[in-house]
Amino acid sequence: MSNVLLQRMVLQSSKGTAGLHTSSTLHEIRKMARLRVVDNSKIGKAAMLEGKPPRCIHVYNKKSVGHTGDKVLVAIKGQMKRAILVGCHQDQKPLMPKFDTNNIVLIDDNGTPLGNRIHVPIPTMLRKKLVDMSRPKSADYTKILAIATRFV
Amino acid sequence: MKLQLCHYSGYKIYPGHGKTMVRTDGKTFVFLNSKCERGYRLKRNPREVRWTILYRRKHKKGMDEETAKKRTRRTQKYQRAIVGASLTDIMAKRNMKPEVRKAQREQAIRAAKEKTRAAKATKKSNSNTQKPNKKATQKIAKVPKAARPGTHGGHAGHGSRR
Repeated sequence: MSNVLLQRMVLQSSKGTAGLHTSSTLHEIRKMARLRVVDNSKIGKAAMLEGKPPRCIHVYNKKSVGHTGDKVLVAIKGQMKRAILVGCHQDQKPLMPKFDTNNIVLIDDNGTPLGNRIHVPIPTMLRKKLVDMSRPKSADYTKILAIATRFV
Repeated sequence: MKLQLCHYSGYKIYPGHGKTMVRTDGKTFVFLNSKCERGYRLKRNPREVRWTILYRRKHKKGMDEETAKKRTRRTQKYQRAIVGASLTDIMAKRNMKPEVRKAQREQAIRAAKEKTRAAKATKKSNSNTQKPNKKATQKIAKVPKAARPGTHGGHAGHGSRR
């Protein structure tokens, strides 16, 4: 093989593959997405400490893509728990702040949070969405705002 | 509505503009537009980016219209003890009442006058008549002087107790 060809091959392999164009990551919350528990529930803390963050296994959304304020089903420490997304890395709708991590707050079926404090900032814009989600007789999802310490 | 300042450029963000971002450590950042956000994400220091307010402030551009605070150096007046006069002595002398000072002065004058008179008397060599007078003045001079060290001693005593 000629010297020039060899050099080219080396260059290509060092760059990766020449000529490939990738789009930037979408950071969507879908099934299998790893999330960060931000409340102080026992199970949440244990999972985060262990290094096995909860994985989203279902998004309660027509589009299967979770946004801030959506309810998701997560697998955490071998159990299935419901959670609310309180911050997404993906660009959200205007006026909804963007977070560097995908944060969730674990809840039970009635919307009551498992922990009793959230130290991470919570968007105030969440209130409207949670109120709309809540049903008067069954689920009250706005309880997570009561345990939040900082708002953004 | 609250007017925020862009974290990167320092410009005002009016309602309907801007984007907020929350970092993992909980710090919130507000950006005016994607230009500022990109600068932040590219880890460009706003203090090195020419059009930001942080840069202008650092390099003092266009600051002449704004009143720059001039800090004048003012030396503090501080009472210090000098060799030959301790701080208490200085303070005692300063805080002496005018009557006391006048009395001391008169005493000093009297003493000086007595001294000159005595000197004149010795010169005239009438020592017998002047001796009893000298003794009397010396006694008067000594008693108040003895009282004074007492007060100073009192001060010193307080100091040592502490």
